[in-house]
Amino acid sequence: MSEFPVSFTLEYPYTRTPGPVIGPFLTGLRDGRILGIRCGSRVLCPPMEFDPDTGETLSPDFVEVGPSGRVENWTWIAEPTRKHPLQEPFAFALVKLDGADTAITHAVKAAGPEAMSTGMRVTAQFREERVGAVSDVYFVPEGDAREQAIEPGEGEVEITTHLISLTYEGKLHPHNARYAQGLLDGKFIGQRSPVSGKVGIPSRGYDPIARVVLTPADDVEISPTGTVVSYTVITPIQYRGQTETEPYISATIFLDGSDQALPQQDIRDIPLDEFRVGMRVRAIFRPPAERNVDAVDNDWMYPTVGDVVERWAPTGEPDVPMDQIPETM
Amino acid sequence: MAEDIAIVAFAQTPSYRSYGDSEASLIMGIVNQILGDVEIDRYDIDFTIAGSCDYLLGLPFSFIANVDGYGAWPPIYESHVEMDGAWALFEAFVRLQCGDIDSALVVGSGKSSSGVPREIFPLQTDPYVSAPLGLDPVSVAGLQARALLEAGKATERDFAEVVSRSRRDGLSNPHAQVAKDVSVETLLKEPYYASPLRKHDLPPISDGAAAVLIARGELARKLCDKPIWIRGIDHRIESHHLGLRDLTDSPSSRIAATNLGLDPGSLDVAELCVRYSPEEIVLRQALELGNGTQINPSGGPLCGHPVMATGLTRVIEVARRIRNGEAGRGLAHAASGAALQHNLLCILEGDA
Repeated sequence: MSEFPVSFTLEYPYTRTPGPVIGPFLTGLRDGRILGIRCGSRVLCPPMEFDPDTGETLSPDFVEVGPSGRVENWTWIAEPTRKHPLQEPFAFALVKLDGADTAITHAVKAAGPEAMSTGMRVTAQFREERVGAVSDVYFVPEGDAREQAIEPGEGEVEITTHLISLTYEGKLHPHNARYAQGLLDGKFIGQRSPVSGKVGIPSRGYDPIARVVLTPADDVEISPTGTVVSYTVITPIQYRGQTETEPYISATIFLDGSDQALPQQDIRDIPLDEFRVGMRVRAIFRPPAERNVDAVDNDWMYPTVGDVVERWAPTGEPDVPMDQIPETM
Repeated sequence: MAEDIAIVAFAQTPSYRSYGDSEASLIMGIVNQILGDVEIDRYDIDFTIAGSCDYLLGLPFSFIANVDGYGAWPPIYESHVEMDGAWALFEAFVRLQCGDIDSALVVGSGKSSSGVPREIFPLQTDPYVSAPLGLDPVSVAGLQARALLEAGKATERDFAEVVSRSRRDGLSNPHAQVAKDVSVETLLKEPYYASPLRKHDLPPISDGAAAVLIARGELARKLCDKPIWIRGIDHRIESHHLGLRDLTDSPSSRIAATNLGLDPGSLDVAELCVRYSPEEIVLRQALELGNGTQINPSGGPLCGHPVMATGLTRVIEVARRIRNGEAGRGLAHAASGAALQHNLLCILEGDA
């Protein structure tokens, strides 16, 4: 049986208000200046909202520091990650900027590790495109610094954005792979617990009630015929990205011989006034070449049958009374 | 005066490079193992708490999916920390101090294999000045290493000795993922990765889980012959700004040790959460661990690093040695954040 690779990107586009201290700091970076904050007799850079020793709120008494400073410590990053500020090998360094008493951790662009040393002087270089983020700046050895004419931006930086974008690569868990293969073959494959006898579809690979791990020997083919146990009518709101235009039914269908209902089955060809709980239906699979299980993943909390069912057709059998529908897992 | 609370049973999975099934199934295996070792019904355990991190799998609410692993029907009294399972143990210990319940199941689990840990972990850092730089724990470990070198507190050979000894000790640990007999000289010939660190100074990427069952005195004695008493547990944290920290020291560990009244001379064994080899040197010096204390006989996290279970595994490795008579008293250490930002200490002891 084939493996089913699962790869996806998880994204959270954060927008944050930076507050009374980080806001001016980021505004400064956008405008080509680095600000520290007074904390007693010290100047902290990066600035903080509170005294790190006492927790007392600091008044917004900013001091311009740098643009040059001393490397207090460094490490050479031979293989940068996609998230690092420089995409060629570089140094992360603790840089104590002139006028500051604490060091900022930042990137130094240098020819190689031999160009780096503790105590060396570095100078800030600002990026051409600045957005009001800590990555608007990086450092270079003082001798490599170019003169920069920075055009200040307008207003204060009141929002800073950070797109969290993470990639994941794996494959379907073995029981999910057999389930996905079943869907491609036009079959519903679930698993029967040898302890409780309960049949799950899609199986989680274990019996969550009896708490036993299941094996391929526990696989069972489940009938494509079942009973509607619940439904709702979705009236699509035209938000950005919406692809639905007409109302449709989203039904929960309990396949015969299983103990777990399939949620969110789209019904588009049964008139609303004829659809009802208790109705008997049968899955009509798409032709083999049109079946697609890309949506099947390892997240059992959002189970899917992928895109293999063309429609759920009424069988014409008498309805099942609600009180005869067995309890679902 | 703290209540007497003991570990009565424990279990861990091997550390896998990539485990092909669900995190819940990993948990289910070890919880069932504990329930097989101890005569207690699952539903007689008063409280359950887990430590895990949804970002590792990239599946939002995977901490809820994990609940299947310890069983939640009929409903149980349950909690979760987005921390290593060692912090779940801390919460369970504190919860049992209330005196109204007697037992707690503690789980830590994580599958790092499908994501890119170096891209995920910067999200633990300050979201304004560090996370947007992708400042990751490997890079910060490199900074910590150089700080130690330049302060004269360690040499590159010291780092290699930690790695050589740990990976050799891993050969006798059935749960180890990376273990081999490799000399310091061979290690020192490897190229730098985050200089002055080399790739072997880093932990492997791992999937795995660990669990312990704890109980108050009377129940602990009823459930097992050899309770392993938790004599103290404390955790402390340092600044999120590296510029405000002395990376050659671990003042937070030292405060925790002081709070616990730790007598380093009394420890037969210490399992330290050494994810990067320099961390062992920092911890040895900060905690004043001497030659009478065996350090990381399991090989430690350098031999297997199932994030979110790594710290709880240190507790188990100490408990195992106390139970089998190799040690009378030991220290388990767990860490979170880059370069030992956040440290937890747990003192364990057998019956005299």
